[in-house]
Amino acid sequence: MKDTLSKVVDVAVQKFGAEYAEIRAQKLFKTMLTIKEERVEAAREGIENGAALRVLINGAWGFASVGSFNAEKLVNAVCDACKMAKAASLKLKTPIKLVEYKTFEDRVTAKPKKDPSKISIEEKLKTTLAIAETTLKHDKRVKSCTIDYLDLVGTSYFLNNEGTYIENDKLYVWSRILATAKEGDIFTFSREEIGSTAGYEIFDAETPEIVGERVAKRAVNQLKAKMPKGGTFPVVLGPNVVGVFVHEAFGHLAEADLTLSGSVLMDKLGKKIASEIVTIYDDGTVEGAFGSFKYDDEGVPTQKTLLVKDGVVVGLMHNRETAQKLKANPTGNSRAEDFRVEPLIRMRNTFMEPKEHSFEELIEKIKFGYYFKSFRGGQANIDGTFQVGIQEGYEIINGEIGEPVRNASISGNTLETLNKVDAVGKDFELWPGRCGKGQTAFVCDGGPHIRVREVIVGGGA
Amino acid sequence: MVAALKEEIISMAEKAVNLALKRGADEAEIFVYEGLTAISAIERGQITKSSRIIDRGLAARVVKNKAVGFSYTNILENTAAVDETVLKSLKSAKASKPDRDWKGFPTKKPVANVKNTFDNAVYELSSEDLVQMASTMLESAEKTDKRVFPIEGGVGASYLSRTVVNSNGVECFDYGTMIECSLATVAQQSGEVTPVCFEFGAERLNKIDPEWIGKEAARLAASALKAKKTETKNTKVIFAQFALYELLSYTLMNAVNADYVQRNQSAFKGKIGEKVASENVTIYDNGLLEGGLRTWKFDGEGVPQQKTTIIEKGVLRNFIYDTYTANKEEKESTGNAFRAGYLSTPNIETTNFHFIPGKKSPEEMISGIDDGLLVYALQGAHSSNPASGEFSVVATPTWKIEKGRITNAVKGAMLAGNIFDLMKNISALANNERKTGSLVAPWILAENVKVIGK
Repeated sequence: MKDTLSKVVDVAVQKFGAEYAEIRAQKLFKTMLTIKEERVEAAREGIENGAALRVLINGAWGFASVGSFNAEKLVNAVCDACKMAKAASLKLKTPIKLVEYKTFEDRVTAKPKKDPSKISIEEKLKTTLAIAETTLKHDKRVKSCTIDYLDLVGTSYFLNNEGTYIENDKLYVWSRILATAKEGDIFTFSREEIGSTAGYEIFDAETPEIVGERVAKRAVNQLKAKMPKGGTFPVVLGPNVVGVFVHEAFGHLAEADLTLSGSVLMDKLGKKIASEIVTIYDDGTVEGAFGSFKYDDEGVPTQKTLLVKDGVVVGLMHNRETAQKLKANPTGNSRAEDFRVEPLIRMRNTFMEPKEHSFEELIEKIKFGYYFKSFRGGQANIDGTFQVGIQEGYEIINGEIGEPVRNASISGNTLETLNKVDAVGKDFELWPGRCGKGQTAFVCDGGPHIRVREVIVGGGA
Repeated sequence: MVAALKEEIISMAEKAVNLALKRGADEAEIFVYEGLTAISAIERGQITKSSRIIDRGLAARVVKNKAVGFSYTNILENTAAVDETVLKSLKSAKASKPDRDWKGFPTKKPVANVKNTFDNAVYELSSEDLVQMASTMLESAEKTDKRVFPIEGGVGASYLSRTVVNSNGVECFDYGTMIECSLATVAQQSGEVTPVCFEFGAERLNKIDPEWIGKEAARLAASALKAKKTETKNTKVIFAQFALYELLSYTLMNAVNADYVQRNQSAFKGKIGEKVASENVTIYDNGLLEGGLRTWKFDGEGVPQQKTTIIEKGVLRNFIYDTYTANKEEKESTGNAFRAGYLSTPNIETTNFHFIPGKKSPEEMISGIDDGLLVYALQGAHSSNPASGEFSVVATPTWKIEKGRITNAVKGAMLAGNIFDLMKNISALANNERKTGSLVAPWILAENVKVIGK
């Protein structure tokens, strides 16, 4: 493989005078299942092979993607990429440069205890159908259950003209379970995700019984939930909500491409933006976690990147282009969903570091507020406005957990809200998820329980 | 760009169907997709890259003993890979479980007539042409207001072809073009950053106006400066198209989907013939809309697309179906089996979800409002409850309307409510219809929407 790829990259450098050229070839094999109630909608398998060519000529990027490893087609694609770069450079004002970086030659192999590609479809159906059965049998008010399952195995080959060559095994196991419950005119909805880069053994910990129970119980409990009051309240956020808050509200602003686009973190590096009990990492090295990998899609090794230390912004997430622009080191955050698209700065496993408080300590002083345990979606904006939807929440009354509330969401300004974090718990959980930024990336988010002095709670109508 | 020939694709698909049958499949369906795309992309104030993406693939769906198997490949160069895909789908079907409601693939029907879905001028756009269009858009934004920074955007042109061949005699091919142009901007002034503002256009024919898109994206960002908080109360809200699309995608569009209805996930179940929206609301799912972004001769299963009345003067008339859900109720499919590409089985989705516009211009609509909000986009619409239709979202960018005029930008306002209540509270539709993804709609005015401000 190396020789073929190397010849293709040589064409860009020798024939078109590219400053930089890379090829990322992928052989991917996916298995997907969709279960609706206890019916298998379709068992699906697919092969996706292809290559992405990215070149820098006269300071502009050219990109081409082709679903083939045929040598002639790859050469055509690299020529295409070079012509595209030349076209793009016509109107360029500031040429793009990449930060200098070490080169690597490596072969990264996946070592799952249970390799999903060696497990039969029958076995995978057994597992997913068992989740559906547990969910539906939990309570007759549970009306529907939709399960999507995906596993992806394969190899990614990365080669650039600087001498880096990496063969990197890919392995992902993921499942999403949706359940709805209905009583009278009330509909509730509950979602769970499972995700791992370790192997199919994830289902030994997240067994069908555990997962099915969790998703069904929430849907049923929400039936008796009331609408939250709209307004500003103190809240305690669970690890699952802290994770999505850290990811959405803060993380995206610290992706250097968005920082450079004018995010509110632009002139905040080295400055205090959060209360001093807040420390945030983006870490690609957590073993088996859904957002972990060894090398990013520019051939840069992943790392544990400290973003906020004791309330002060100390780092951003970079690719080689933004690192050059902001005189930083690349952090291994450059990721592409597949060979059809170019890499973007993406998060990995993003979390807040735990401190000393117990859950009881966090809620005991709240006269009236909310405990938000689990999220349903979240979205950030470059001006620092965030929104996180809540799928499981409770009132806190006089320091105790009260009745459940449904369809709440929280919003506010990220920096103001980070400054209002007034207590951080000692527990810790990391939850798998998928992040959309034009492309989908597999990530984890998490942290401990935290207390926030006030956020806006979007209530019912 | 050089597209594959219709005859070659059909012949490949026919062979694959025959192979599946020969190897023991009860039924077989082959879907072939081809997408050729060229993009000129803007990043942080300049055109920084151009891309060309060639994506072709074949998907096989086969049935054995009422169990459905599916497999796909993007390797179409040799017949061995295609044959292997067919056999894999048969293997998946054998491993899967029978579905007693499975009644078969659709049978052959004449495909629909559609207009303005292909333009040779789009097909022939060069990468230099796209760079020029992106540049026009960028310059137009920069010229409009110096405080505006274009952060992201670009121009993309695609050629798409879709083929369905099945063992019931369906054999159809359709092709089309698409051109898209978008620009996201922020404005900055004395330490204030606006939320991301966004303007775009998408057409099947080469009639897009990059200059207008650039200018409008800049105007929006500049007018989003000096945003103020608003008070908490129930008020009138104008939803511009993008905000409406985000809201409906996760709520109403699911509620009319037969899969949701049959599986007790829709509040519309059992409500055909009932009043579900205010009288001025009429919605068609029009798969034949001239130049519509989702207009095709046939859907992802080869069923002719059609125009289906969803809501007529506020009364719920129909749901949207694919062949499977239609068979369950002994109805005909409405041609709503949607495929984004070859990677997955068809799903029920809206085609062009068309709100019949009203008579007022947007200016007239604003001038009739004493106190309200104009909402361009939402944050967090995907966190809505798809079954109950409840939403709790941030409205941004948003402007305050007072005494018939837009007074200032609003920050941090949340909207909370239920889509089904909101549909009953639509008091007017403007006349500024446009295409936004699968939505074709004008601005709509809703009364009594709960706004949570400071």
